[in-house]
Amino acid sequence: MRISPSVPRIARLALYGAAGLALLGFLFVWSGVYSVAASRGHWPTMEWFLTFAMRNSVKTHAYGIDAPPLDNTDLVTLGAGHFHSGCAFCHGGPGVPISPIAQGMLPSPPDLATQMRPWRDRELFWIVKNGIKYTGMPAWAAQERDDEVWALVAFLRRLPSLDARSYRDLALGNLQVPQQSGREVATTETASEAIGACARCHGDERHAPTSALVPILHGQPAEFLTAALESYAHRRRASGIMQPVAVELGRDDLGRVARYYAGLLPPARPLNLLPDATAAIVRGRALAEQGDPEARVPPCAGCHGADALKTYPRLAGQNAPYMTNRLRLWKGGLAPGTDGEAIMAPIARALSERQIDDVSAYFASLGAAPGAPAR
Amino acid sequence: MKSQATLPVAATALACLAGCGPGVQSVMAPGGSQAGQIATLAWLLFGFGAVVLAIVIVALWLAIRGSPRLRTALARETMIIALGLVFPAVTLTLLLGYGVWLMQPDGDHDDRGVMRIEVVGEQWWWRVAYAGATPIASANEITIPVGRPVEFVLNAADVIHSFWVPSLGGKVDMIPGRTTRLRLTADRAGIYRGQCAEYCGGPHALMAFEVVALPPTEFDAWLAREAAPATAPSTDGERHGQTLFVAAGCGTCHAIRGTAASGTIGPDLTHIGSRRSVGVDTMKLTHANLVRFIAEGQHVKPGNRMPEFRIFRPDELDALAAYLSSLR
Repeated sequence: MRISPSVPRIARLALYGAAGLALLGFLFVWSGVYSVAASRGHWPTMEWFLTFAMRNSVKTHAYGIDAPPLDNTDLVTLGAGHFHSGCAFCHGGPGVPISPIAQGMLPSPPDLATQMRPWRDRELFWIVKNGIKYTGMPAWAAQERDDEVWALVAFLRRLPSLDARSYRDLALGNLQVPQQSGREVATTETASEAIGACARCHGDERHAPTSALVPILHGQPAEFLTAALESYAHRRRASGIMQPVAVELGRDDLGRVARYYAGLLPPARPLNLLPDATAAIVRGRALAEQGDPEARVPPCAGCHGADALKTYPRLAGQNAPYMTNRLRLWKGGLAPGTDGEAIMAPIARALSERQIDDVSAYFASLGAAPGAPAR
Repeated sequence: MKSQATLPVAATALACLAGCGPGVQSVMAPGGSQAGQIATLAWLLFGFGAVVLAIVIVALWLAIRGSPRLRTALARETMIIALGLVFPAVTLTLLLGYGVWLMQPDGDHDDRGVMRIEVVGEQWWWRVAYAGATPIASANEITIPVGRPVEFVLNAADVIHSFWVPSLGGKVDMIPGRTTRLRLTADRAGIYRGQCAEYCGGPHALMAFEVVALPPTEFDAWLAREAAPATAPSTDGERHGQTLFVAAGCGTCHAIRGTAASGTIGPDLTHIGSRRSVGVDTMKLTHANLVRFIAEGQHVKPGNRMPEFRIFRPDELDALAAYLSSLR
């Protein structure tokens, strides 16, 4: 490498120096002397530098994100349900110790109940949605589901005020985990944390879902439930909450749990109707029975009534917030991932905001069983 | 070489112009009096254009190669006034007058024996309604009697479309909120193809239709058949297809007269089995094409308003297609 003599001497020295340093750096890395061991930790300077970079990156990237109102029990409960199965293994929770395996990570995941940084809502959202490079913090499994991420952020806001008991109430819902015998503990998975229990969020024979953002599965056709679980398991239907759960289920488990919920009678649930609900229900009923041909909206009852295909969901008595959220996701542009969504998404896009509220209020107001219970 | 190639090329172009396809969609293959007038006018214009072109070529040739005497004559002011001002003013005025006279609505005020058919342009299909004792709804195919004037009452549901059956007459825009009319008469039985002639969004190019002109007696028989409600399914497969049709909610968008299916969002399917095409003239009506349109309509006709029903198993699609084919 020859540099023209017209270049000043000082510049030439700087160039040779830089090239030499780069070569030395490469040789250092090539030699393998540098240890990537998580057991050793970072040098303090390095640690400060990485943290500095992370904090500023999060702040900058989260700038401009608008946080929705998060003080909402349905959001918090839904977030708690997912936190328990998705986050607590690494981050712990009130009464849930961080797994020693997770503690061995570098950086070791912070216990969010006690040592969460004073992040803004939007910054927490950005972290949960995108994850953080080089830390092991994963990105949200379904990037198109911001609504789910916000549910988790709502729960994180509540987390510092929870004790072990109130945490368990939120995360496990009404689930009574039976005590296992010593033999059961020894020969099966321990059940006390009930990580994979559907009933934590979706309820069981005696209980409705804990959050109105969670669908009532009681009495839905088994064919529909099976298809839904399969589409989550194959990651066709977008959900960072349901995909990890469905992936864990074997083919037979999936059919069995679908038949279990298909056989349940509709749960008793408080019907929280807004003051102007009656008018909304009347409008929603007209839409459900006659549709809105001008806007190319067919009548909902044609596909969601009791006699429809078993691969279609029944909507009578479904949670209104769940329905409005799902319709708004499609209206907001969620790409249809399943064969059923391919039919429903264009219809949801044709609905007006008010029609979404009206028709959800109408179906929620129907006390009847969603579909036929088991005979 | 050049002059050799020109003649065949021109002849081919002219032949193509005169008979695109087998003459079902061509201004040059008129099938009725209105189209005949347009064809006459078109030929006259082509002929006149050819004469003008010949004059220009001769003048140009004289200007370059002519004797000095001829060139001087050509450059005279009177020649410029005669050929450049008087000739076009007179001939164009005559042509305009002839065109206006030829295209005047003939007997439009005479409503005797006129058959009225309402056609609404929708994204991206044609809603057809026959006025009469029993109003008949159909779609994407218009059957008319030979020799009887038909008045098309044209509307649009969403954006501007344009109704054009080149072999039967001129085109008329279909404008939302405004009714336009077009009177056509087919002089010979046959099939004439029509096309939306105003860009109306995504699958505009696939928004075509066919006009089937039948002799009067056949037409009356057809109209009586069309007025009847749908035939009941006769085989197990067809019955299964009907059950699926109802359960899958097809009837929320499509009507089948005589059944509970009464949707008005999409085309009426009461007699779809007797139509010639599926998917608005996109494909011939066959069992396989019905299956294709139901399950992968967005591939066949991208952007059309009907979602793909991939939820059906192959045997279910077969049953549905069998049921629809039976609706004759």
